[in-house]
Amino acid sequence: MEVSNGEEGMSMVVMGRYGVLYTKPRPKSAETSPRVIDMRSDTVTRPTEEMRVAMFEAEVGDDVFGEDPTVAELEKKAAELLGKEAGLFVASGTMGNLAAMMSHCWSRGEEVLAGDQSHVVLFEQGGAAQIGNFFLRTVRNLPDGTLDLEELRSKLQPEGKVAGDPHKTMTRLIVVENTHNMMGGRVIRPEYMDRLAELIRGLGIRIHVDGARLFNAATALGLPPAELVKHADSVTICLSKGLSAPAGSVLVGTAHFISRARRVRKSLGGGMRQVGVLAAPGIIALEKMSQRLEIDHNMAKFLGRGLVSMSDLGVDLDLEAVETNIVFFGLQRSDMTAEDFVARLEKEGVANGDRVIVKMLPARVASGEVKVRAVLNHHVTHQGVECALIRIREILANRGGRKRKQET
Amino acid sequence: MGAEQMNVIDLRSDTITHPTEAMRKAMSEAEVGDDVYGEDPSINLLEQRASEILGKEAGLLTASGTMSNLVAALTYCHRGDEIIMGDQAHMFWNESAGVSALAGAQVRLVPNDDQGKIDPADLSAAIRPRGNVHMPPTTLVCLENTHNRCSGAALTPQDTKAVADVAHEAGASVHMDGARIFNAAVALEVPPAELVKDVDDVSFCLSKALSCPVGSVLVGSEEFIGEARRWRKMIGGGMRQAGVLAAAGLVALETMIERLADDHANARRLAQGLADIEGLKVDPESIQTNIVIFEIEPSVGTAPEVLQALADAGVKVTPSRTQTLRMVTHRQVDSADVEEALSRVAGVVGKLREQNKA
Repeated sequence: MEVSNGEEGMSMVVMGRYGVLYTKPRPKSAETSPRVIDMRSDTVTRPTEEMRVAMFEAEVGDDVFGEDPTVAELEKKAAELLGKEAGLFVASGTMGNLAAMMSHCWSRGEEVLAGDQSHVVLFEQGGAAQIGNFFLRTVRNLPDGTLDLEELRSKLQPEGKVAGDPHKTMTRLIVVENTHNMMGGRVIRPEYMDRLAELIRGLGIRIHVDGARLFNAATALGLPPAELVKHADSVTICLSKGLSAPAGSVLVGTAHFISRARRVRKSLGGGMRQVGVLAAPGIIALEKMSQRLEIDHNMAKFLGRGLVSMSDLGVDLDLEAVETNIVFFGLQRSDMTAEDFVARLEKEGVANGDRVIVKMLPARVASGEVKVRAVLNHHVTHQGVECALIRIREILANRGGRKRKQET
Repeated sequence: MGAEQMNVIDLRSDTITHPTEAMRKAMSEAEVGDDVYGEDPSINLLEQRASEILGKEAGLLTASGTMSNLVAALTYCHRGDEIIMGDQAHMFWNESAGVSALAGAQVRLVPNDDQGKIDPADLSAAIRPRGNVHMPPTTLVCLENTHNRCSGAALTPQDTKAVADVAHEAGASVHMDGARIFNAAVALEVPPAELVKDVDDVSFCLSKALSCPVGSVLVGSEEFIGEARRWRKMIGGGMRQAGVLAAAGLVALETMIERLADDHANARRLAQGLADIEGLKVDPESIQTNIVIFEIEPSVGTAPEVLQALADAGVKVTPSRTQTLRMVTHRQVDSADVEEALSRVAGVVGKLREQNKA
């Protein structure tokens, strides 16, 4: 692949295997439109230039016939990285989790235990019940993102114990989310997984890790991702979040499990053809973009420190709880709800002389309080966070009336 | 001919088609956004363009034809409803019973004739009344155009209307599995919108002869698509910057439809050639689009035996009904390949007949 000086008006010309590819010129209008600092999620990440070139050049085949070499390579790499036998590319994390749960709960009458604040419970539309036809029972998520082990122990209904009791479902699977989104991007540590594995030893119960943001956890702990999931029978990782691929996730597990999941995936409509075009950027996501996540974590802490300095303006944040790329903060204001704040923030403002629009999302947490969530990603730079903090302060300081909730 | 010199002629399916250079360029340059937030401009444009071409209000990009069909079932049907479709339907044969296993609907079959048509009288007799506690109500009727297992036969607007009217009269909706709808439009020389004007929604594949790498588009009313979007997310079809896939789709809709006529000509030539081979049976006049299903006489062997022998000779086909095999033409097979394929098939079949006589 050659890179040469561009023709006038273009930023780069790349000569690839399939012909000439012109990358997009920098739009002249950039100076005249406001800069968007989008912290709604890490799913908003757009593919990098390298990923775009990879898509252009990807070797492809019909993956339903098992003939796409690029997706086969991605699946193998993901499995190896996570210490599992085989992998399966899926359209989304939701599909990965659903296919995993359906593949584990293969017999009628089985149930899954998951955290009451977990993504599979809150944000997957109850697919477990609607589509998978199995029961999803919740266990309290503790503030650190783990499942309350004592409560979990009390709720276990292993087949060996309840098979003779036709009142009871049989616990087949426990889902652990790492990092835990709603608890604040919290990292689940290997020591916890050891205790969980010990608790269920010999009971015929398996573990699935919803590792949508597993690489954030691995980065925060400075450990190889395989270490975090060594007790897991299966894992879903998202390529389209902080890793920034355009779409997709990978499910990994034993070869037998994956062959079953492949069948489930097909029935869900997830059997795609020349999907190497998505797998090629996925490989870059897995190998390269997984190495830069510490930047997002540092940006999150930078944002967090700035927010903590506004506690006199009603910002409520425990900086210790910011472990990865997600920041949840509360607003103790009688004059403004979190939704108001987010709406105000999204209006165009000025920071450091630049026109900016800052985006975050309101989120109802376990207590019922609606907080504000910011998710750092590769589009949000140090300067972006600076501008965001300026805008936040401006909004919180300029609103008239009482600054803190009146205490009686 | 040695194995190294032999090029493989792949007639297994039009799904094997690779994206064109123009598609690759479009994909890598695509403007994208998060489609779950409705912010991917390439997807929005594709969905709009697709719905315009098919004369419907709105569209939805999905990962596959199977997903589009499943989403349609999830949108129209409640658990315990009945869906009526032809007994040769892809949705019945090759979609892992998803509409039943996942959407909770029972499937009732009515006969497809050789041309993929459903007799409106058969449909009428099969429709269940509502309000009877014993019976699952018929909420959906599914048509397929072109018809895969019926050798790619195309349904005319009149065929479609006759069946759709019966369905609508009974309060059922009509979904068309139009995986290869553009093949039908080209073969019949009818605008695609004309073919689907009497159905409530239609799905078509980008990844088949249109040659995109991935995907399907479901088009229907605003209300239908709004709900369909929800069920698509539930089954895991909510992709993010999938504008990279939509960009290829936009290229396909502009540049890959007219050329389908070449695939049809190749399929017709294949059928003519196969008809001339002793031991094989096919009616070339019945071949309207890019699929040729031909019968194997017992003197040649079983279909699996013949499939293997053909594969060994560098001609790849797929199984179909008992004692038949299927060939599908597409842009990666040209007229020279067709002649070569026929020559090899004649050789293989001749040899098998010889062996069986002995």
